[in-house]
Amino acid sequence: MNPYVPVGIFLGVAAVAATAFVLVPGLLARRKPNPAKSEAYECGVEPTSVVGGHFPVRFYLIAMLFVIFDVEAASFYPWAVQMHALRAYGLLEMAAFVVVLAIGYAYVWRKGGFQWR
Amino acid sequence: MPSTLTIPWGNADWNAILPLGVVALTPLLVILADLLLPRSLRRSVVLALAALGLIYAGFLAARGWGHPYSAFGGGFVTGGFTIVFQEIVIAGALFSLLLATHLGRDDQAGGAVALLLWSASGAMLMAGAANLMTIFLGLELLSLALYCLCGLAARPSAREAALKYLILSSTASGFMLYGMALLFGATGSVQLSAFAAPAASPMLFTLGSGLFLIGFVFKLSLAPFHIWTPDVYEGAPLPVTAFMSVVTKAGALAVLARFAYAALPQANAQAILVPLWIVAALSMIVGNVGALAQTDVKRLLAYSGTAQLGYVVAALAGTTSLGLRYAIFYLVAYMFMNLGAFAVVALLSREHEEGSHLSAYAGLGYRQPVLAALMTFFLLALAGLPPTAGFTGKLLILASSVDAGYAWLAVILIVGTAISAYAYLKIVLAMYARGAGAPLQRALHPASALPWLGVAICAIATFVLTFYPLAPSDVLPLVK
Amino acid sequence: MNAPMDVDVSYYIVLSTVIFFIGVGGVILRRNPLIMLMAIELMFNAANLALIAFARVWINNAGQIFAFLVITVAASEAAIGLAIVVVVFRRAKNVDVDEVAGLRG
Repeated sequence: MNPYVPVGIFLGVAAVAATAFVLVPGLLARRKPNPAKSEAYECGVEPTSVVGGHFPVRFYLIAMLFVIFDVEAASFYPWAVQMHALRAYGLLEMAAFVVVLAIGYAYVWRKGGFQWR
Repeated sequence: MPSTLTIPWGNADWNAILPLGVVALTPLLVILADLLLPRSLRRSVVLALAALGLIYAGFLAARGWGHPYSAFGGGFVTGGFTIVFQEIVIAGALFSLLLATHLGRDDQAGGAVALLLWSASGAMLMAGAANLMTIFLGLELLSLALYCLCGLAARPSAREAALKYLILSSTASGFMLYGMALLFGATGSVQLSAFAAPAASPMLFTLGSGLFLIGFVFKLSLAPFHIWTPDVYEGAPLPVTAFMSVVTKAGALAVLARFAYAALPQANAQAILVPLWIVAALSMIVGNVGALAQTDVKRLLAYSGTAQLGYVVAALAGTTSLGLRYAIFYLVAYMFMNLGAFAVVALLSREHEEGSHLSAYAGLGYRQPVLAALMTFFLLALAGLPPTAGFTGKLLILASSVDAGYAWLAVILIVGTAISAYAYLKIVLAMYARGAGAPLQRALHPASALPWLGVAICAIATFVLTFYPLAPSDVLPLVK
Repeated sequence: MNAPMDVDVSYYIVLSTVIFFIGVGGVILRRNPLIMLMAIELMFNAANLALIAFARVWINNAGQIFAFLVITVAASEAAIGLAIVVVVFRRAKNVDVDEVAGLRG
């Protein structure tokens, strides 16, 4: 017998038991909600902010730009490695890539996408 | 060490993707025009440039007729099939431009039109894509641009639609991509043509094609993966909705048809595709029943689109060559009748309100008789009643599915059509109901000439295509 | 390719399946659109792992090129996703899809 079989059985039993413990009370329990019970904390104070806090919007803008230019740089790698072998053809392809990217860059710049608001 | 690589493709390959290239490069000019021109000129120049680019691409694509070629090592195939779908995409994009005179704010117009064209170029890539990589690239190019376009209108529902579309559609892409990975694992190739040979691992192949098909069923918004469609159609700006209803579906259908016809091993092709026919049957019922309850024409057209694409996929059942021809014919007919209806909605729109709510149609038959008559015509076509292309198309699909041994699909098609008649006639009745609702005086858009052009072309095409040459052999299976 | 210790490729496939289902579960169970986007990225990258593993099985570089393509597309998808999330929630206060309930199927 494969030595992992007991481990598999153990995992299966654990999964079934855990799922049952979560589901069964929901099915069997008697529910008598009242407003006080339904509050987030039956005693204590309401939370005033989201746990973990908010990130400012510009954080996401930077993240977006980072992701784009990160992958753009990654696209240069295969070409850079094989630059000599690809010769003028590769150079032209990369030039076309950069031109397209530059037009997009100019568009974002002119429309104020890089403004630090 | 610096050895030279020989580039395995040349001019013929670049020629094959030239129409696609034109549509993909025109947006760069559009963006530059948007940046350099004064605000007053921008919108008209941008629209003109885009239209010219599309028309030129359409001309270039037509030129390739009769010269099938497998470009880039089998990544992109040209020929009749590709050209037909590319022309459908181009026509759909052009019609959307006719309705796009008010798309976005002035400073967004250039970007929006550029995104529309990039999206169209993605669909054109899908039309000819013959390996998994080009399919994926085309699909994502199509979808990514559309996510942005959906959120363009300045109302909260538009942004919600964009978010919803983004998350659901990306999830579908994820399923499809994993399916592609499994297909690659089962066969060791990314070429669709290599899939026709029996796979090394049939189980992996079936699983992979299942996931792959789920992705495309979602993009075609066939039931049960259609739930997102009404919300997204309602939230997106009207020209974008019109674009989605034709171009996305044409692109996805091209891939689906190529996969069903050319990329499955003979032995178990029909078995793998059975779920697809069931999905088509489900769409015909669910789409038409869903349409019954709608009070918004955009939502109605969303459900209608689900049902209509159900008809198209039903034509493919049994993967007969006649079925493919009829599916394409019905797709073309659907494009005209559907875009005609969208153009009428555009004509009823005001500056800040799209004329898609049912109340905008109450008593329209007395306020604008011509427009109401045309809308009635398009709705009759969608319902599949006689003097329209919709009728001919449905007849052909009935014939081909009976012929291919899928009579049950034909029966469901008839049932679905009967249900849909109620949904469409509801609008017609509203238009001609006397004293129904206060006759709202709706000002037309100032630049309403362009949607009128769209309405006229669609009406003529919907009428003329009725007389698609019905060879006796086409209808014979119905008589047998 | 002389890996010091040859790992059976099937382990990579199993791992990629697990990652894929974690992604699917994330999309279905989580309500935060940022988390959902992350889960979608997981699905994409699970496919990447499978592609590269299969490329190794078949000794076919197409899988690796495909994976590179997927990385690029996934990045665009993430950028556009972030942009849409920012646009949606610049006005709303919470980042929770249940709050985005103006549209109902």
